[in-house]
Amino acid sequence: MAVTTCLTWMQEKVLQNYFGEKQFSLLYKASVHGFSSKGLLERCSNQGPTITVIYAGDYIVGVYAQNNDKEEYVFITLFVFQETEISECKIGPFQLPMVFQDNFEFYVNLERKRMYISPETKEKLGLSGYISFQECEVFRCEDLLDKRRMEGVIELKEKLLSAIRTYKPYGDLVHQTRILLLGPIGAGKSSFLNSVKSIFRGHVTNQALVGSYTCGTSDKYRTYFINDGKNADTLPFILCDSLGLSETEEGLCMGDIPYILKGHIADRYKFDCTKPITPGHDNYIGSPLLKDRIHCVAFVFDANSVEHLSKEMVSKIKRIQRELIKCGVVHVVLLTHVDTLDMIMKGDLMDIYSCLPVKLKLEAVHRELGFPPSNIFVVRNYTSEWELEPVMDVLILSALRHMLWAADDFLEDLPFEETDRCVW
Amino acid sequence: MAVTTTLTWNEERSLQKLLGNVSLRLLYKSSVHGNNIQNMNNKCIGQGPTITMIYLPEYTFGIFILGHYPEMGKNFKEPNNSFFFSFQKNETMKMTTAFLNSTLEITSEDLRFDFAKFQSLYISPRSEKICIPEFLEEELGLTSDLSCRYSECEVFRVEGIKDDAGYISRITEATQHRNSLLEDLRDYKPYADLVSEIRILLLGPVGSGKSSFFNSVKSIFQGRLTRQAIVGSDITSITEQYRIYSIKYGIDGESLPFKLCDSMGLGEKEGVGLCVDDIPHILKGCMPDRYQFSPHKPITPKHPAFITSPSLKDGIHCVAYVFDINSMDSLSFAMRAKLIQVQKEVLNHGVAQVALLTKVKNSNEVLENNFSKMSKSMISQSQIIIASELLGVPISKIFVVENYASEREMDPVKDILILSALKQMLRAADDFLEDLPLE
Repeated sequence: MAVTTCLTWMQEKVLQNYFGEKQFSLLYKASVHGFSSKGLLERCSNQGPTITVIYAGDYIVGVYAQNNDKEEYVFITLFVFQETEISECKIGPFQLPMVFQDNFEFYVNLERKRMYISPETKEKLGLSGYISFQECEVFRCEDLLDKRRMEGVIELKEKLLSAIRTYKPYGDLVHQTRILLLGPIGAGKSSFLNSVKSIFRGHVTNQALVGSYTCGTSDKYRTYFINDGKNADTLPFILCDSLGLSETEEGLCMGDIPYILKGHIADRYKFDCTKPITPGHDNYIGSPLLKDRIHCVAFVFDANSVEHLSKEMVSKIKRIQRELIKCGVVHVVLLTHVDTLDMIMKGDLMDIYSCLPVKLKLEAVHRELGFPPSNIFVVRNYTSEWELEPVMDVLILSALRHMLWAADDFLEDLPFEETDRCVW
Repeated sequence: MAVTTTLTWNEERSLQKLLGNVSLRLLYKSSVHGNNIQNMNNKCIGQGPTITMIYLPEYTFGIFILGHYPEMGKNFKEPNNSFFFSFQKNETMKMTTAFLNSTLEITSEDLRFDFAKFQSLYISPRSEKICIPEFLEEELGLTSDLSCRYSECEVFRVEGIKDDAGYISRITEATQHRNSLLEDLRDYKPYADLVSEIRILLLGPVGSGKSSFFNSVKSIFQGRLTRQAIVGSDITSITEQYRIYSIKYGIDGESLPFKLCDSMGLGEKEGVGLCVDDIPHILKGCMPDRYQFSPHKPITPKHPAFITSPSLKDGIHCVAYVFDINSMDSLSFAMRAKLIQVQKEVLNHGVAQVALLTKVKNSNEVLENNFSKMSKSMISQSQIIIASELLGVPISKIFVVENYASEREMDPVKDILILSALKQMLRAADDFLEDLPLE
């Protein structure tokens, strides 16, 4: 028999978040290890903070104990968990074994699969009578973001930083990869740009204007060189920001997109929503080189609103995709604001793609917009923080590294004659 | 007082990946729960698959046990599925593994693993010592130091393991087999050196996974997920150009001795998808790389890039019909009719034919445990039988794969399916070359 919990992902997550971003390790399961206090105490004593979960029909009665050294008297938190609601009260102090022997306030009789709760406590929790149960599980509670994991995350961040600093575009065809950010107004394109810049600078910065005006604050085409804070060297990529997409005639003109992709538009060109750039314009580059072209496109969507895009927006995105395919430009998707998805906490960012809400979101984006799930990355941009958070940095840097790899795929796929220009 | 593991996060992640995306749950820690067998046993019996980690000055040594920890005094008479591994405590954090059968016994003093030839491994909690037999040290590449004293012993439950007797050997052998296939393909030479490289044409309906298959092959040889051929899920073909893809071995390696040729998807209606009259030109080798297909009319010799005198190496040596395995049961009459037309052209040219079924859900169940052939349960599935009858391809020439489209990490079992299919395609191409009339 497999030793796994009866808790659903959602139930486990509600409990983990309730008790402060914990991770649970199952230590004892009554139906496997025997309905006996001996079996439980042998496995669960001296294990640090524990949570005992008792399955009683359609609700759960739980015991959270901060310390479970057998000799110590401790206060415990007794809670009832039904649907997503938790009510609790503190009782004690007890020695741990007392919880599984007779006492006058609360105890669990494993052998008989019944528990007793005193009338006063029962009233506080909204329960009544003797309670029989079907299963009992005990978990160790560990901090999700403990020192050990934080050290691993910091190490991973340093590896990613180093990989990106030393990155060289495929075949040295260009010195810097150009990545274009495209997406609806308010999706977080400029925030992503600021976040990348902040990571390499070492503290939060706000060069690209960010706002939530309906017309968008980025009305110019911008090509941002990112400086490496430590060495003041320029990094091997450029992030290009454009006017946001809009359902209406505001927003980026569809006719501008081929010109951006082929490198005809110079930095700071002021977009006109109603008509594309023309060869006569001052900011028009007549004979762009490979280095002026876009090598990778990142669609940027807010994770919360991506499933509610209007038909017009979805249609526009698909038209852009066909344009990208025609130009051979590889593209990926960035979903921002991942931390605002249901149940997601900071510690979850470490293993974000394992979280159920994120999996469902990627499937939805794949279904609605057609992007392969392996080309979709989730990030959490810096918006209100003053200092860097390694778990956020790792998500951003991982996405960036995938964009650089995607650009390599684009460069590798170029016809030979289009690479000759670089020889000059 | 929190109880946390000594294992680093990187080591934990390496183990999780090796064992197939599992979770490790700490059950026993010697410095907290006491250096004695009784306490260890109390916390570890009845917990399912476990890993016992021994922390030594120069390396960390681990033992994975698939079955339950035995109770004291009882032992596993039958050889237990287990494997042994180590992490070096240095820059590379190298991990080595060995899969061995052993019996496991717990006495009042020791945890003992018995191997063949009267060799044993002992863990003695009271004295904090581990004795690793010499042959195992050699196999894992450990420095010889019999009866080392360890600083910590931890036991974890491993959650997420499939309860499968072949599971352990599969995961330890999969990586080895995958690497062997990689080398075979890198070193492959076409039959009698008649051509310098084999060309494999991918033909199939829109959305069957042709371009994804190329991306997956390239990803395996590059060691990271790649996206050179753009894929999507439009109802019309994403691929509109003829592409002849070359693949390098490693990031800066040499080109491999085969090329994958990607075409526009087959459509059910006339004037949609690949024009059937284009196929003879592709097969002969007249179609240039990046030719823009038209669903309405085929390429003509007047096209400026048309290759008028193709050599043997320009032509197609093997055709792979690519289908979503889940679509085989409901293929429309129109698509079947189109396939008959297509196959007629292929047969006329005598080119080797295979079938590639994509989007299988359970990669782990496609092949026999030794990866040498498709499993019986797979062969008996209706999709395979339908593909064989419909395409006129024997079952031994039908390959099942799962392309990299949803995954974020490489998986050796998926790699094996893809590389095995590729290897068989090259063999089929060799048969075609061998069968050519002498010129």
